[in-house]
Amino acid sequence: MKAGELARVRFAFGLLGAVPVFLIGWLGWLQLAHAGTIDRGDRAPLRLLPATADRQARRSEIVPAPRGTIVDRHGSVLAIDCETYEVRARIVVPKKHRASVEAFRAWLRGLVDELTLALVVDPELADRAEARRQHQERLRKVLARAFELADLPATGPLPAEHPVRADVLVAADVDVLSVVEALRDLATRNDALTFDFLRDHHRVYPDREFTYGLVGHTDTSWAVMPGATTPSLHTFGVCGLESFLALEPDEAAVRRFLKDGSGQPYFLAPLDEPHVPTVLHTTIDIELQRTAVRELTRQAEAGAREGDVRIPKWGALVLVEIATGDIVAAASWHRDEKRGQVASFTPYQSLFEPGSIVKPLVFAYALEAGVVDWSHEYDCSPGGATYRELIGSLGRASAVRDDHTCGVLTPHGIIVNSSNIGASYVGLGLDREQWRDYMRFYGVGTSLGLNLPHEHKGGPNRHSFDAGISVRSFRANSAISFSFGYELSVTAMHVARAYLRIFRGGAAELRLCRGVELDGRWYAAPAPAGSGARFRPEVVEAVRAAMVDVVSDEPHATGFKLHGDMLKEQGIDLHGFVAGKTGTAASDVGIPDRGKVNVRNASFVGFVPADAPRWLAVCVLQKDDSARFYGGSYAAPPAVRLLLQAKALEDRRGSRQEPLRSDASNRSAPVSGAADGLPGDSGWSVGLQGQRR
Amino acid sequence: MRWILAGLLFALAVSLAIGTAAIRADNARYRHAVERIYREVHDRVVEQQRLAVDRLAEATPERLAQTHWRQLLAEAQRRQGQLQ
Repeated sequence: MKAGELARVRFAFGLLGAVPVFLIGWLGWLQLAHAGTIDRGDRAPLRLLPATADRQARRSEIVPAPRGTIVDRHGSVLAIDCETYEVRARIVVPKKHRASVEAFRAWLRGLVDELTLALVVDPELADRAEARRQHQERLRKVLARAFELADLPATGPLPAEHPVRADVLVAADVDVLSVVEALRDLATRNDALTFDFLRDHHRVYPDREFTYGLVGHTDTSWAVMPGATTPSLHTFGVCGLESFLALEPDEAAVRRFLKDGSGQPYFLAPLDEPHVPTVLHTTIDIELQRTAVRELTRQAEAGAREGDVRIPKWGALVLVEIATGDIVAAASWHRDEKRGQVASFTPYQSLFEPGSIVKPLVFAYALEAGVVDWSHEYDCSPGGATYRELIGSLGRASAVRDDHTCGVLTPHGIIVNSSNIGASYVGLGLDREQWRDYMRFYGVGTSLGLNLPHEHKGGPNRHSFDAGISVRSFRANSAISFSFGYELSVTAMHVARAYLRIFRGGAAELRLCRGVELDGRWYAAPAPAGSGARFRPEVVEAVRAAMVDVVSDEPHATGFKLHGDMLKEQGIDLHGFVAGKTGTAASDVGIPDRGKVNVRNASFVGFVPADAPRWLAVCVLQKDDSARFYGGSYAAPPAVRLLLQAKALEDRRGSRQEPLRSDASNRSAPVSGAADGLPGDSGWSVGLQGQRR
Repeated sequence: MRWILAGLLFALAVSLAIGTAAIRADNARYRHAVERIYREVHDRVVEQQRLAVDRLAEATPERLAQTHWRQLLAEAQRRQGQLQ
């Protein structure tokens, strides 16, 4: 190589070698020597560092946690949070459409049409024209407000300072794929639009019309949450199972992604911690719940077809599994309030005087206490010597009467005939302290412990146990009234629990929640310690046998009509299969705008199978007029049909004629309704969900 | 010879720089695609949840019985029409 060529090659390579040296120097000059800050007014200055650039590319979206799911005893969903999108649009009116007010308005009109078309693309929409009209009307208002169209003149150039960009809500609760795809496609075609698909949840209640009162509902309102200083929108359970704290959603999760210079997102990572919603396992059987609602409604509305007879004011029907205390079904009916969401739930909120359905409770307690001889014969005739001696001599203001004249009866016969006079004789055998213990044992006036809000407890009249009331006055009034179900108020669920205690002891409680599944772990609802005081088997047997004969073809049995009707209607001889007790009571209650009104309560409590009780049903209907209304005729049929359905369904499931979604016989059997404490509280037993099956 | 080596090294450095930039660009392109697919999958998850609940509600014994009853009535009307 010649010297000149060598010099040129050296020069060229030296120049090439200088390029990286220059680039490194430039980088150092930019990133180190000139790594200054940008002043941003009131905000902290922005440091010009590589980390700042990286940070500006990072984006994140908040993914709210779902509210817990509520399922029935076989796993059927009763309430669930389904994911939806809240679609917001960032709109920038293109420059060429800002030339005049007319062009500006026309472009926005076109945009409304495009958005509307995308929103009604759902192929399953029932009335597309109507949906389109509604969306169009709403979006026009939204855009008119966002772009202040009311302030614009009819014609002329667009004012210089007029807003040309806005962020608007396009639609909430969007969960139809075709709509989502149409909106995404619209954003691709239209550069003036950028959509934000914000993740949200929509509460869905399959079988809503059957579960209003039990499952309850949620409400969303502004509230200052603990640890926060400013109010935020918060969804909370208003009533029923929805009010359980275990269903409260977890903290929202964050999903991180990046955005390039043109604003397009690109993937960084999936959700930090995917949400696993809490599952609240209830004791409800949705099949029987449907039957309960249907039977109660049918019975309550049957009266409307009978000319002048007014249909009942309200009704309640409850079905309980005796072995566990599980509330399998509970139905509520109102004459004056058909909207289930706002109506009270009668099974635990409507109080009534129970009437004669308490007689088996009184007799069981008295027999256990040794104050009644089951073979003793009482003269239950209204003017008889025993009446004069035991009741007449007390100076009670109102006479004790029976529906039909009864003669000499044993305690068994008193229950079958539902003799108030006979029940009074037995009740007078209990002293005041024993009556107080009777109320305590059966839970009259105490909470059901289901942790449901707005529960009514009822109880004996305020003055029944006043210390100032003499023993004679107590015996003349309260003791006699208590004997046939007056001077105290209960709900249908209170009656169910009282009967449950006959069979399972004084600590037995109703249960509405079997447990919760939290992050895949099963926490069974706490069971009460022990069964409490229990009646002797012969006491339970004596009362059970009497209740069996109530539903028979014996002419004076109060279930005589029920027995005949069911034999005629369904060809079923109920005697020996269904046992029960009817009740009819007349009370004066205060009704808004009507003052004191005389109401009649028809009630029935029954169980099947009569020889080995497994299912217990309580039905109450209240009428606010003086028409004929008896427990055996009105309240018993829906309760018995529900009991028969429960038995039939169990038999069908047992013979595997329909799929079993969970093994009911293997379920854990804690007996308590306390369910809104968090797992980890004392009493909650823990196990893996898989081990439960 | 050393100048050839220097040239090759330089070419390698430039190739590495271009290759790195290309890989990074392709990575970003793929991430865009993954992000799009991620969102599309989530759209389908939302749709699937909705359909699962809707179909479950439609399959209750009451609704199936109603559907069956409507079908029977329609069939009865059709046959009655044929007879007339």
